[in-house]
Amino acid sequence: MFNLIRRDVILQKRQMLIFIPFITFFIIMDAHPALTFLVASIFIPFNAFAYDEKVETNILLNSLPYTRKEIIASRYIGAMIYMILAIGVTSLELFLFGIPFRLTDIAVACCLFLLFSAFTFPLFYIFKPGYIYSVVLISFLLLAGIGPPIVIFLMDNITVVADFIINLSTTVMYMGSAVIIIFLYTASWGITTYIYQRKAL
Amino acid sequence: MEHVVELENVTKNFKDFSVNNINLQVKKGFVTGFIGANGAGKTTTIKLMMNLLKPDAGEVKVFGMDYKTHEKAMKERMGFVYDGNVFFEGLNLLDIKRIVGPSYKQWDDKLFYQYMEQFELPLKKAIKTFSKGMQMKASLAIALSHHAELIIMDEPTAGLDPIFRRELLDLLQELMVDGNRTIFFSTHMTTDLNRIADYLAFINRGELIFNQSIHDIAENYALVKGRMDLLDRDTEKALIRVHRAPTGFEALTGNVQQAKKIFGDSVVIEQASLEDIMVYMKEGVQRV
Repeated sequence: MFNLIRRDVILQKRQMLIFIPFITFFIIMDAHPALTFLVASIFIPFNAFAYDEKVETNILLNSLPYTRKEIIASRYIGAMIYMILAIGVTSLELFLFGIPFRLTDIAVACCLFLLFSAFTFPLFYIFKPGYIYSVVLISFLLLAGIGPPIVIFLMDNITVVADFIINLSTTVMYMGSAVIIIFLYTASWGITTYIYQRKAL
Repeated sequence: MEHVVELENVTKNFKDFSVNNINLQVKKGFVTGFIGANGAGKTTTIKLMMNLLKPDAGEVKVFGMDYKTHEKAMKERMGFVYDGNVFFEGLNLLDIKRIVGPSYKQWDDKLFYQYMEQFELPLKKAIKTFSKGMQMKASLAIALSHHAELIIMDEPTAGLDPIFRRELLDLLQELMVDGNRTIFFSTHMTTDLNRIADYLAFINRGELIFNQSIHDIAENYALVKGRMDLLDRDTEKALIRVHRAPTGFEALTGNVQQAKKIFGDSVVIEQASLEDIMVYMKEGVQRV
């Protein structure tokens, strides 16, 4: 299983070389640290799908002594491991550039990354190869474009919800979001396993 | 005799194609050739054996175990060579070894390098630059490097030039010296089979027509040629399929003894080549 997670490093040797310049670009462009953490986290796990969506890769992995459950588990566990590593590297770089960041930035980036992963990972196993990238890209742009206005609209109009959220203490809010995100990520993991186990290769 | 692979009443349906009620046993220590025309269901059957597809009905067993409970133990002992390249095409063999090797408990690095040398494969060139024959050898080297007891190959000779094809077949023959090894390979080229197969399984339109030793096939199947007036409801019972022409008929029989008894000396009985059998069978078994 560890071997399955490790294969992303072997596969993405070349992409790794542009990882640092990629983050540096965001830092130089003065992006919000939370955004920098987020894109850094997304880098490896989503690049990996460029390989994993291919039919041949699935035939190979399934012909090796792995179960389908393990193949999916390696994706979800791997995403978390690479997220942690990416955050480590990014923190170091931000520190070297002398840019201040807070733990909250990291927390927000982690939450958004896990949330985004929870929603998109199953799509890679539902849609046919070739379509997925566009689906994910479009949904990302849609979410980024439409998401905030919807939230603002809801906040303005449904005062009960807004009041409830505003009245929550910071700790409760963080804990609450963490619980919800962990739940969604686990549920997504379960759903993807279910889909993959029934998939014809 | 011990069976390495057992398919029991396996059925798999697709929108416009299905394999029906396949009962197939692959015998341990032998080479079984799996023939059938393009689209007859060879790849589907192989995918069912590898658990890439799950049967709608029936049971698939390898080494006497089933995929529900022993998937990993089974695949540890299986090697695979597919029609196309399944390895990450941008990687070289060294990196592929780094990914594939650790997944097997029995992986043997020394053996791997030995095969690289024997097959004259470059370790540091991307696999997409390999010719079809080199890709085949690379897959085979990987299958052999983890001491696979059962090697399943889907059309390993397709797209190879004749010299390379013979080289590959010779190589497979060499591998069989180790009596523990079993090879199951599909092909639509009957010439491959005459050289190395001990057993032949023939699939047509999703149905397994027979699975017999080469020896039995040579003994049972034959071409029968004779005058048209010899054919009637009774005599045709000995024939699987008849081709009629104004000058006479030519037919395939699956029971030479019966045909001899019925027709006696009035017909010519010739040995049927595998190709003859395939061509006659492809048209479907005639029900009289």
